[in-house]
Amino acid sequence: MALELKINGTTLTTDADPSTPLLWVLRDHLGMTGTKFGCGIAQCGACTVHVNGMATRSCQLPVAAVAGADITTIEGLAPNADHPLQTAWVEMNVAQCGYCQSGMIMAAAALLKQNPKPTDQDINVAVNNVCRCGTYPRVKAAIHKAAGTMQS
Amino acid sequence: MNKITNVNRRQFLISTAVVGGAFTIGITAASDADAALTKPWESPKGGAELSPWLSIMPDDTIMVRVATPEIGNGAMTQTAMTITEELESDWSKMQVEGAPADRNLKENGVYTQAGGSLAYFAGRSTTDARMKLALQVGASARERLKAAAAAQWKVPVAEVTAAKSMLTHTPTGRTLTYGQVAVKAAAIKLKEEPALKPQSEWKFLGHATPAKLSAPAIASGSAVFGMDVRVPGMVYAALRQSPVHGGKLKSFDASAVKKMPGVIDVIVVDPDEPRDTSKIKAPMTLAGAMPQSAIAVVAEHYWQAAKALEALPVEWTDGPGGQWKTYKQMRDATTDAISKPGSKVMVERGDISGLDKSAKIVEADYFTPYSDQMTMEPLNGTALVTADSVEIWHPSQHPEQGLWVAAAEAGVSPDKVKFNQTYVGGGFGRRVFGNDSRMVVAVAKKVQGRPVHVIWSREESVRQGRYRPLVAAKFKAALGANGLPEMLLSRAALGEGGYFIGWIDSPYTVAQIKNVRLETQTLPLHLLTGPYRGPGYNSFGFMYETFIDECASAAGIDPLEYRLKLLEGWPDSGWSGSLKEAAKQAGWGKKLPKGMGQGIAIANWAGGGKPQSGTTVAAVATVEVSSAGELKIHALDIAFDTGRIVNKDAVQVQLEGGAIFGLNMAMNEELTIANGRVVEGNYDTYPIMRMGDVPKINIHFGGLSGHDRFSEVGEPPVGVIGPAIGNAIFAATGQRVRSQPFRKLDLNWA
Repeated sequence: MALELKINGTTLTTDADPSTPLLWVLRDHLGMTGTKFGCGIAQCGACTVHVNGMATRSCQLPVAAVAGADITTIEGLAPNADHPLQTAWVEMNVAQCGYCQSGMIMAAAALLKQNPKPTDQDINVAVNNVCRCGTYPRVKAAIHKAAGTMQS
Repeated sequence: MNKITNVNRRQFLISTAVVGGAFTIGITAASDADAALTKPWESPKGGAELSPWLSIMPDDTIMVRVATPEIGNGAMTQTAMTITEELESDWSKMQVEGAPADRNLKENGVYTQAGGSLAYFAGRSTTDARMKLALQVGASARERLKAAAAAQWKVPVAEVTAAKSMLTHTPTGRTLTYGQVAVKAAAIKLKEEPALKPQSEWKFLGHATPAKLSAPAIASGSAVFGMDVRVPGMVYAALRQSPVHGGKLKSFDASAVKKMPGVIDVIVVDPDEPRDTSKIKAPMTLAGAMPQSAIAVVAEHYWQAAKALEALPVEWTDGPGGQWKTYKQMRDATTDAISKPGSKVMVERGDISGLDKSAKIVEADYFTPYSDQMTMEPLNGTALVTADSVEIWHPSQHPEQGLWVAAAEAGVSPDKVKFNQTYVGGGFGRRVFGNDSRMVVAVAKKVQGRPVHVIWSREESVRQGRYRPLVAAKFKAALGANGLPEMLLSRAALGEGGYFIGWIDSPYTVAQIKNVRLETQTLPLHLLTGPYRGPGYNSFGFMYETFIDECASAAGIDPLEYRLKLLEGWPDSGWSGSLKEAAKQAGWGKKLPKGMGQGIAIANWAGGGKPQSGTTVAAVATVEVSSAGELKIHALDIAFDTGRIVNKDAVQVQLEGGAIFGLNMAMNEELTIANGRVVEGNYDTYPIMRMGDVPKINIHFGGLSGHDRFSEVGEPPVGVIGPAIGNAIFAATGQRVRSQPFRKLDLNWA
């Protein structure tokens, strides 16, 4: 029984078992590997995608639960990977190893949609993803920078 | 003349002579630069190879091959920057890929030289030898490009200049790009290697601070980490190794899962099965990459494999590690051991026989726990094994070792292994032993005809670690009339695989305290250990610098002043300079309200006990402890001496990251054991700081001595953050902090 998914504006079908977490459907069945596997218990945020615009951790989310929902992944965040966050990320040399950064960017993008001018505290709450390299100071600065770009 | 320009040209010529211009590749296709960025093992096609390290494409893209894998520290970007300085290339044209380990083997060690930092495919890019090599690669290519342009124009080479990837005939203003003459340049051999410019003439190094070359691929989500490798026909394996390290598989029931959706096979990894290693003469030890008893479920998709592994009935024989019923037993074993003389004397200077009769004795015991590197990318790798070959796609800190391990496990000749280095989702020492490559090949070799992507779950990654060892240590000193230690006895007890950096090589140990004896006791704790960011140093930095603080307190001397006195005569101004800079910037000595305090610490990473060597770091922590014991860290002020720096921004982010790593290590990290098994498995029980938990971190550059070295920055901060915070807690509350992690201590001072 094929499931229909709306991902990055395109309708895709998958034969994955409906209980499979969205993360693994994206990665293994649909070949979209920008969304990362980090912990499997919705703790670290490496697997963050948008479901109907909300930042959502996909590693514990059964794919059946999001059939029909609008799903956005890092691959679909901006047409040429030129979302102001992605631009700021490169300009400010944010990433170290880079593994957690798709999730960071997706969490930040959802925040900026709801709150175009977040405070440090807003960012701390909304972007509570884990980064082992310690990119947090740069992540925060890049979110502020992107917020500025989007306002102007 | 400075050290960098003092290049050993003969050595360079020897290593390039193997290939010279002979490996020139004709222009066969347009470059596919984007693919190279995201899939580092897919080299752009076409272009001209000027040396094993450098190819230039017709579109002027320059591909640099680097033997130090990018693990987040910028090592590959830095190498491209170093080459750029002498190549006079346009930075926007520079790209990097991993130097292929299989080529190194087939071409007689073309990327390696015996001894020193050039001997292996790991580590950083700014060692003296690596910088010289990269500069020479750039200079050599530049001169050959100039010669090719001169030949084309039929003019003397002296009339040709090179800048920004453009060659100009100065008298006529004619120009050619590097890409336009690259094929001809590749066929040119220089009579003599060009001399390098002195550091004072560097225009790019020391000035430019570009983003890492990996930044666009990472921000777009297109960078392919080991976890993201997709090979046609690939299947997945979920792996479980003996939960007690060194234990063995006893029984399992494959029939219980074979009919589950997608399941292809259940595979056993037997460490005792015969392996043909007759062809294995590896240039490095493979001792850390021994196979472990394991079982794996192979399925069409990872989730299917993981669910089936969960459902698979498995029994294990625990082996000797099972004797550790509780973590307390292990702690007690180490703390008991340091109350008795050690079995091995690590350092003996002067005479400490009078220590116990001294008038003023300071004594304290310290403890640091097992910790896991907890890389964001769980361990994994992909391999296709045939009867006589292996191809592996792997996120490694040491691809050359990975190649040898793969050959050893598959029983094939090493020249039949192709090792494809991927992006690496964090290393911190976890991916240098090659045991992950071992397990990948051990599973894949039992799946015929299909590549297998073997994935450790997060819990499996954490519980099958190569941990920072558990260490207990005693420090006991006799203070002289001036308050400084005259004699020091220190004993450390730890499990197998200890490191002693920050203890045996501290300037206090090697010079500043006149009578020193350091002893160790290695206990059979049966848990696998390995390098964890700043091995040894991450424990001994905390212990030594807390103890020095205790001595200062006993002597009634300010902790900053005490360290400066103790370091008097140490011939390296980087120590006092870093201390003073961190203290000044933090406002050391300022009046603070009750419950607040500042602490200071200093240590050196990788200096080997020699002055003006390695990286010296000083940190001041400013903390607040509520009467109920809640700790708030207000700021960390860090000063350091690497000698010089070539990339200020890269140094800044590595020091910040290292400080956060050291902070988390000191505050949060501890693995405990029950019935021989590691208890913690994921972020819920092994917390890693998040954005809101990180204090203000101020990196100060005023401690740089200017000494002629470019020492490393990734590991040094981890040794000083913990003791700076602990010493600040003492200043705030009067309570001494002697064990990590701090989150498990009661700091209540009401």
